[in-house]
Amino acid sequence: MANPLTNHKKTAMKQVININFHGQVVPIEVTAFELLKNYTESLSRYFANEEGKEEIINDIESRIGELFQERLKKGSTCITDEDVNAIIKSMGRPEELDELEEVGSNKSSPNENSTSSDQVPPIAGNTKRLFRNENDKLIGGVCGGVANYFGIDTILVRIIFVVIAFTGAGLLAYLILWIALPSSASEVIGASRKKLFRDPDEKIIAGVCSGIGNYFGISAWIPRALFLIPFLSIMSRITHWEFLDFPNFIGLSFSPGSLFLYIILWLVIPQANNTSEKLEMKGEKVDLHSIKNSVVGEMKEVQQRAEKFSKEVQHSAEKFGKEATSFAEQKGKVVGAEATSLLKKSSRSLGDIIVLLVKAFAYFILGCFAFSLVIALFAFAIFSIGIFPLKDFLLTDGWQNIFAWGTLVLFIAVPVIGVITWIIRRLAKMKSNRSVLRFTFIGLWLLGLACFISLLSGVVRDFRSTNNLYEQEIYLPNPLVNKLELTSQTLQNKYNRNKFFHLSPFENIGLEDDTLFIKNIEIKILKSKNDSFRVTMVKLANGRNRRVADTIANLINFNLLQKDSVLQLDKGIGITQKNKFRNQGIIITLYVPVGKRIKIDRSLNWNNTTLHFDNSADDDWGILLNDNEERGWRQNVEYIMNPDGLYTLDGEPADDRKTGGKKKFKIDGKGVYLDENGNKISIDVNGVEIIEGKDLNKEIDLSKKRIDSIRMKIEMDKMRRRDSLEKAKKEIQQQLEKIAFNKTVPEILGGYLLRPYYLLINID
Amino acid sequence: MNIENTASQMRKGVLEFCILSIIKQGEAYPSDIIERMKSANLNILEGTLYPLLTRLKNAEFLTYRWIESNSGPPRKYFSLTEKGAVFYKDLETTWNELASAVKELSNAEQAHTEEQVSKEDQNFPENPTE
Repeated sequence: MANPLTNHKKTAMKQVININFHGQVVPIEVTAFELLKNYTESLSRYFANEEGKEEIINDIESRIGELFQERLKKGSTCITDEDVNAIIKSMGRPEELDELEEVGSNKSSPNENSTSSDQVPPIAGNTKRLFRNENDKLIGGVCGGVANYFGIDTILVRIIFVVIAFTGAGLLAYLILWIALPSSASEVIGASRKKLFRDPDEKIIAGVCSGIGNYFGISAWIPRALFLIPFLSIMSRITHWEFLDFPNFIGLSFSPGSLFLYIILWLVIPQANNTSEKLEMKGEKVDLHSIKNSVVGEMKEVQQRAEKFSKEVQHSAEKFGKEATSFAEQKGKVVGAEATSLLKKSSRSLGDIIVLLVKAFAYFILGCFAFSLVIALFAFAIFSIGIFPLKDFLLTDGWQNIFAWGTLVLFIAVPVIGVITWIIRRLAKMKSNRSVLRFTFIGLWLLGLACFISLLSGVVRDFRSTNNLYEQEIYLPNPLVNKLELTSQTLQNKYNRNKFFHLSPFENIGLEDDTLFIKNIEIKILKSKNDSFRVTMVKLANGRNRRVADTIANLINFNLLQKDSVLQLDKGIGITQKNKFRNQGIIITLYVPVGKRIKIDRSLNWNNTTLHFDNSADDDWGILLNDNEERGWRQNVEYIMNPDGLYTLDGEPADDRKTGGKKKFKIDGKGVYLDENGNKISIDVNGVEIIEGKDLNKEIDLSKKRIDSIRMKIEMDKMRRRDSLEKAKKEIQQQLEKIAFNKTVPEILGGYLLRPYYLLINID
Repeated sequence: MNIENTASQMRKGVLEFCILSIIKQGEAYPSDIIERMKSANLNILEGTLYPLLTRLKNAEFLTYRWIESNSGPPRKYFSLTEKGAVFYKDLETTWNELASAVKELSNAEQAHTEEQVSKEDQNFPENPTE
């Protein structure tokens, strides 16, 4: 077969190409080459059914090659059209060839054969392709083309389409098909065929997007972006981007829809494996004309074939007779094998599909996992970058600082950079999987891990010990005020405005200049033993050992200032770079005398002492636990100290647990309801009821009994009266009956006259 | 019916015989064979010859070997096999029979015409004097 090999040379007249024709290099005019190609193709058709056809053609071409050489030797620079035509003439066109009744092969009569061999040549490709039918079109010929492909009537297809169109997807499908399918007018033999393939050379996952890009003639990145955008759906979070609201935006949502579409396409679209398929994918003609445009692409495969062929020819030229025959047989077998393998490739068995599905699912799970890991990594990195400025308040200079830097850079930044680099490299298709780079990254990360561990251990060490606790008296210039209100300076929390941090520990922290204020203050209220207010303070701190802790505790600078009835506290414990954070805390104990009032302001917000770590294993803490401590008081509520504890001005104890929270007494139309200390008394029409009484049990029980007996008595009386009434009724009736039977008038009369008196007497 | 078709049919019949005859005389390659046939006034197209040679080879009447040539690709040189020789003999016999039969028939016609002519000649006295 003639194969273009090298570049074009332009002569003054016509373009000349060099071809490798049966092992010889032949310069030939392009048009002449086409003539040649046509001739060989026609021969191929002619001998389509011939046994040993390849050999025949090979021989013929060999002869042609010889003739070429003759001409070139005679001095021609290249083979021209006339040369080729002359050669063809001498060889004989297929039409002119004598049809021979011969020995052993099955050839039909000439006429039949010539018509059949004029059919479409069996070039690689399908016989039936899906195109739009220009002859049978209503709108765009889509239904006609589909009908033609499936061999069913156009009307059926149209009906189906209309039905689908009602779902909305049908219309879209029609439009897509209209755009994508080629018109039948272009279905000329050898016209450019474009098939949708997956591109194995330019693939990132499976070449789906590349294939699509090739088919539509667009860059592969466009379908990739289209696939990724819904996948990440960051777009939906844009409205939530109060600027730099970092940790929140990381909550990306996965949209699996486009992923499923990708998987479906992966399964359905075949991969373009050999060169002709690749050409078809890119939309160029598979026959001679495409070679003009894609010489290089074709060249590779074709060069291989040529080399193979010349090798084969040489190989067989070394052998004799029988081996040559056996070689020809072999070739036949090879062709057969190729055909079957091609068949196998193009039809996907069910098993393949299942395997592919499982693979795809596994990849999906892995992908999700990996993706979420990456996101977590990024989030962590951002977090650590955010709190980095605070490290100076925590870490001692020197090693810890270095470790901190090391941790940040190596432990956190390195994997982030590594991941980003890997992604970029994959996307940009830099196939340099240099393990050096990988090892470097891993090494650095391990170093970072070591830094992190040492940092952690260093920090933990610094917090190991607590300090000695002692109660420190605070001077109150005026301890005999009637009321004391505790407030603190409002914290100009610069960071509160900045939405950068929504991490709760830091809500109690304000950073002013270079001082960090921690509201690590606990307030206890106790009853004062005398009639003056008293305030004490206990400082808490941690340190590497007790001594250090003590020192640090002493350095705590916390002041209280009394202004008449307001006791103003510092806004917090100041931590500077010199006074590092070591879990400093303050416990303020307020002794309130009986009859005096207190109020704790809302600005002292210590319900969230989040930065304070309780070390209850410490013995010294006994000093701080006080059973008499008043509990349950709330901020911003004024309390008065009664002999038995804090009470609100309404008379309720501050400690909810004492009452359980129910109403003390209620008087309404139904009765009286009293509730105190768990003893409840209710007085209503039913009598006096006592529930859950504790101290009053005895008396109440007795009274209860008494009351009960009164009730009983009344009841009994009632019953007795009722009974006697009944009895009397009965007697009267009897008497009446008696009289009725004794019918003497005077007696009756007499009886009558006497009756009333009788009755009166009895009844009474 | 025209002469070309019939002539072509006639030629087709004898081609194998002719080719085998040439090869019998010695190893030959296709161009050679064509030359020889040309010189014997029997023109044949290469496109006809190659398939024929291949068929004969497939039927194991011919065998070939490759011989390198300086001017171009290696050439196939065909030679007769034993089977081919036998086949050739059959062909020769067939041809001879056919040829003599045809000759006889066509000559007989001529002979007949000549006879008739000579007969009629006899009817006509040679000397008008009698």
